[in-house]
Amino acid sequence: MKRILALVMAVVMVVGMTVLLVACDKPSSQITLRVLENDTAKKEGYLDYILEAFNEKYKDDNVVAVDANMDEYSNLEQDGPYGYGPDVLYQANDVLMKYVEGHHIMPIDIQSMEVYEQVPQNAWDAYKADNNGEVIYCGIPVNVQQPLLFYRKDTLPENWQTEWDKNDNDIPDMVEYWNEMYLYSKSIRESDNSKFGFALQLNNEYFNSGFLFTYGGYVFGNNNTDDTDIGLSAGNAKLGGKIIWELAGIMDQKCLDDSFTVGRESMLANGTIFATICTPDMTSSFIKELSAVYQSEGLSEQEALQKVDENLVITGLPKLPADGDITVRKDVTDDSLWVAHKTMGGVNGYGISSYTKHRDWALKFVEFATSKEMVLKRAEMLGVVPARADALAEMHDTVAQITYDNLDDGTIVVMPSISAVGQIWMPIASGFKQIATDGCGDRIFTIDDIENVLKTIDDNIYKAIHTFS
Amino acid sequence: MRKLRVRPRQVADVFLTYALLLIVSIIFLFPCLWLVLSCFSATGSIYSFNGFFPTSYSLASFISLFTDSYYTYLNWFANTLIIAVISSLLGTLLVIITAFTISSFEFSGRKALMKGALALGMFPSFMGMTAVYLLMTQFNFINSRIGLALIYACGAPMGYLVQKGFFDTIPKTIYDAARIDGASNLRIFCSVTLPLSKPILVYTLLTQFAWPWSDYILPKLLLKDRELWTVAIGLMSMPETEFARYAAGAVFIAVPIVILYFCLTKYMVNGLAAGAVKE
Amino acid sequence: MKNAFRQLWQKIRNLPSAVKEFFKESGRETYASMCFMGVGQMINGQYIKGLLYMLAEGGLIAYFALRGISDIIGFFTLGTVKADAWLGIEGDNSVIMLLMGIFAWFALGVLVYLYIHNIKDAKKYADMKIFKEHLPSFRDDLSALINSKFYKLALFLPLVGVLIFNVLPIVFMILIAFTNYGGTIVPPELVDWSLDSFGKLVTGSELSQSFIRILGWNLLWAFASTMFNYFVGLGLAILFNKKCVKGKAIWRAFPVLAYAIPGFITLLAFKFMFSNGGPINNMIVDNGGKIIDFFGINSKWMARGIGLFVNAWLSIPSIMLLATGILSNINNDLYEAARIDGASGWVQFKSITLPFVLFSTTPVLINQFIGNFNNFGVFFFLRSDVLSDGYFLASDTDLLINWLYRMSIEKNYYSIGAAISLIIFLITSALSLIVYVRSASYKKEDTFR
Repeated sequence: MKRILALVMAVVMVVGMTVLLVACDKPSSQITLRVLENDTAKKEGYLDYILEAFNEKYKDDNVVAVDANMDEYSNLEQDGPYGYGPDVLYQANDVLMKYVEGHHIMPIDIQSMEVYEQVPQNAWDAYKADNNGEVIYCGIPVNVQQPLLFYRKDTLPENWQTEWDKNDNDIPDMVEYWNEMYLYSKSIRESDNSKFGFALQLNNEYFNSGFLFTYGGYVFGNNNTDDTDIGLSAGNAKLGGKIIWELAGIMDQKCLDDSFTVGRESMLANGTIFATICTPDMTSSFIKELSAVYQSEGLSEQEALQKVDENLVITGLPKLPADGDITVRKDVTDDSLWVAHKTMGGVNGYGISSYTKHRDWALKFVEFATSKEMVLKRAEMLGVVPARADALAEMHDTVAQITYDNLDDGTIVVMPSISAVGQIWMPIASGFKQIATDGCGDRIFTIDDIENVLKTIDDNIYKAIHTFS
Repeated sequence: MRKLRVRPRQVADVFLTYALLLIVSIIFLFPCLWLVLSCFSATGSIYSFNGFFPTSYSLASFISLFTDSYYTYLNWFANTLIIAVISSLLGTLLVIITAFTISSFEFSGRKALMKGALALGMFPSFMGMTAVYLLMTQFNFINSRIGLALIYACGAPMGYLVQKGFFDTIPKTIYDAARIDGASNLRIFCSVTLPLSKPILVYTLLTQFAWPWSDYILPKLLLKDRELWTVAIGLMSMPETEFARYAAGAVFIAVPIVILYFCLTKYMVNGLAAGAVKE
Repeated sequence: MKNAFRQLWQKIRNLPSAVKEFFKESGRETYASMCFMGVGQMINGQYIKGLLYMLAEGGLIAYFALRGISDIIGFFTLGTVKADAWLGIEGDNSVIMLLMGIFAWFALGVLVYLYIHNIKDAKKYADMKIFKEHLPSFRDDLSALINSKFYKLALFLPLVGVLIFNVLPIVFMILIAFTNYGGTIVPPELVDWSLDSFGKLVTGSELSQSFIRILGWNLLWAFASTMFNYFVGLGLAILFNKKCVKGKAIWRAFPVLAYAIPGFITLLAFKFMFSNGGPINNMIVDNGGKIIDFFGINSKWMARGIGLFVNAWLSIPSIMLLATGILSNINNDLYEAARIDGASGWVQFKSITLPFVLFSTTPVLINQFIGNFNNFGVFFFLRSDVLSDGYFLASDTDLLINWLYRMSIEKNYYSIGAAISLIIFLITSALSLIVYVRSASYKKEDTFR
């Protein structure tokens, strides 16, 4: 009996406590701004830095900015209306812009902001939306992201300066031209079956869509705004598909799942692979793995880091052949044979939740966070490419410059900023997987088969978007 | 003499039995062993493994698991423990009451209730997630560990069948004797039923305790604040490259459950079986 | 089944005359209770009960006045003012309105139930008064609640919990199937009642074709994995129980180990193990083989087989434990008798063990079947990055539940997802109800006593 009573009491207490919790909604005169940042910014201490600086600057205004302390991938449309969302959020443009349709994030009057002049129009376009014919902007670009090539100098062939530098610019040709990369990788595979030259998860939609874009493919028509026109098979995109197929041939089935993604750092470090594609925000984990290997070879931590600095190279992606055939050697001194490798990229930035109670302060925070000083600090601490021209100029960083220029000249194709973008990833990944499966297996696909796969991707995306709406 | 003669058929049988036992044990042990050894991998990545097992071993993943200030494992662990304990106590109470009542009382609507529970159990539960989330926003239960535990506990009576089966095996004559003595139902439940029900109580407590340990969807939906995260959400938020630490976290949460199971296997086997036996 | 309907029909037909009869026999207490709950009880002299009824009605009326009525109106309109956070228009949130509308219906149900109860109660005691019987005091009522009506008291809390956290969400989801919620129509857009989802399911030929294909595989999977797990679990239990096995506890420990590790961890570990760069493939390559793309795009049956294996690894231990317990309950004399009759091991299994175990575990078997039918985790973790030809946004290993998840949670098509799950729900619950009602463990639940 006593036990039962105790349990009943427990139930009553639980219910009572919840009622209390509901009832107590203590008022506070202090303004609290909840800021959502990504995990890297938090781990590397950048968020603490900026919060401290902001709170110091406005300490007399009874306002305090704090970490929203949530998952780095926001779910504003679910949390915001009920008061659980952040006030200010940092996200990639595709994530942030999907909230525009439901008016979950605020339009921002960017012309009045100090940052306006410093950011190129291509970056602003990532946050452009159409509101009944009126152009609005719903985010402030902070940095630009693009896949880059990661390779190690000390795993280059010893004679690369004589054999692999036909254009005599002191840069190995295989990191400048995909044909050379292909041939070098093939030679590695032929001499040692357990090693790879270039290695990449080929069903990764973000890293590999660029092959299609280079030859005329696109995601949505009308500058990525028309979701009824899906064009991943458009133009000569099949040539890009063929390249994915050929690349699968110089790898093995590991390119079909996340083996090369999960293992890229350690594989590059232990020499299993020569080069891969990755985004620069992962640089620190490459450094960590490689320096661990050097240390295990007897170097001190200092020496190991020094050696990593010499040998780990991060650079823009190699050039693609204009005719789409990467399997034969071409004249690397003739620029007309080559085209720039377009890549999918993203513009990360800040947005302001429509559900914030302190719009003015949220805007002040965003202005503060996109100031030159903060953007520069972010770029230094996190290894990202700033969207502000003046910040970039002060960095004197060649890799960052490459990305910045790529954005400027359209080599970076920014992810679409309409809500339908959420439906594109899985069909693309599945289609790429189909191409790569044949490429590293039976190798019976013709160029028409590849084009059909690309058309199926388009078809699947169309169905995903339009069947039910 | 005759007894000592070993027939070849028996030898073959014993041999076959042990061979099978060995195969079965390897099948069950190997993945667990792999997971445990991965925690001690020095580099942290599974791609520095030599075949099945790491090339070099260290305690680094456990150290970072407990000391990292960003992925606060101990905090997650405490949260999960709180949720599991509340849900286990409350859920057990509700299931046991439900099962006992349905087992020992005849009342109108009883069969309908039983059929209804069976049919409702068939609904894919995550389809109700949207509604659960909206409900919790209305009750102000988002970011509340107690709210989450309440959901687990309130869902528990849906699985009353095993417990009811157990109570069905307690002969009615015992109750009748107690009733003649003038004992009330509460008395009977506390002093007759409960002492006889230790196995099923243990079983229920354990299963109710183990559920929140491995659930991912509900905590992810309802606990937004990182301070309140459970082990499942926390582990899933870690980057893929941290496999060793992930494995370490996974093994560490399994340890208390493994120990509990081993201590209580005796009760468990009885509890589970009695629940299913009707004749 | 037929009988039940006939009885129901009989009841409905007799209802008008029963009501007439009821009124003819009613006195002022009954009418008083009809006007306001509890007044009749007051007249009967049952003050505490009357007060409780009055309080209940007062509370419910207050609830309906404050929000209940507007909630019910909202249930029909699902909102009229669109919210716009930019303009600061709070507007109506259709899904919340639907939810609170259902809640209000529940409250209305409670009110009607109490009301009818209250009238019947007033009449009953008024009648008793006529015959000068002693009226039960409030204390008597309470003691009845602990004794003859104990079930009402005991089931109250569990029932409320289940109603709020299980039934309400299910009702909500079923109603969602009859709206246009999903896609671009999510709050702040206003949701409306609509039958379009069912229309799309019927007319979208690719969709229904896909549905049938997935349903076929789903049934095969549920059947195969249930049978496999069940018989292997039973086999293991028999194996561990053999007389010649020494150290049973230790042997049994290995499956228990698998039982204790949380499922999502095991699934991820298996995914790594079977990945193309994982340890199993490394071993194959080291021994001169070629990488097997276990979860590849063309590995339909391979992936299905591995799914079956992984699922077995996860669920066999619990079935083994269960069967072990049941086996220990079989009367050993049966085997002894069989042995004297010269029955072989197989015959013993077939004619004693299997019927006994099968008979004892029907509910468990049903639960297993349902669990496997709706087994979300296995293929979600192992192979969710593939779309197969001939399937509508699904892969050839996806179960209906994975497909549902992709459409409703990942792609936001809630109403279509709800419509499909409603259909699945109807099929599976009908099937399992039939099996359950026909099973010995339901029909003869009291035979043991």
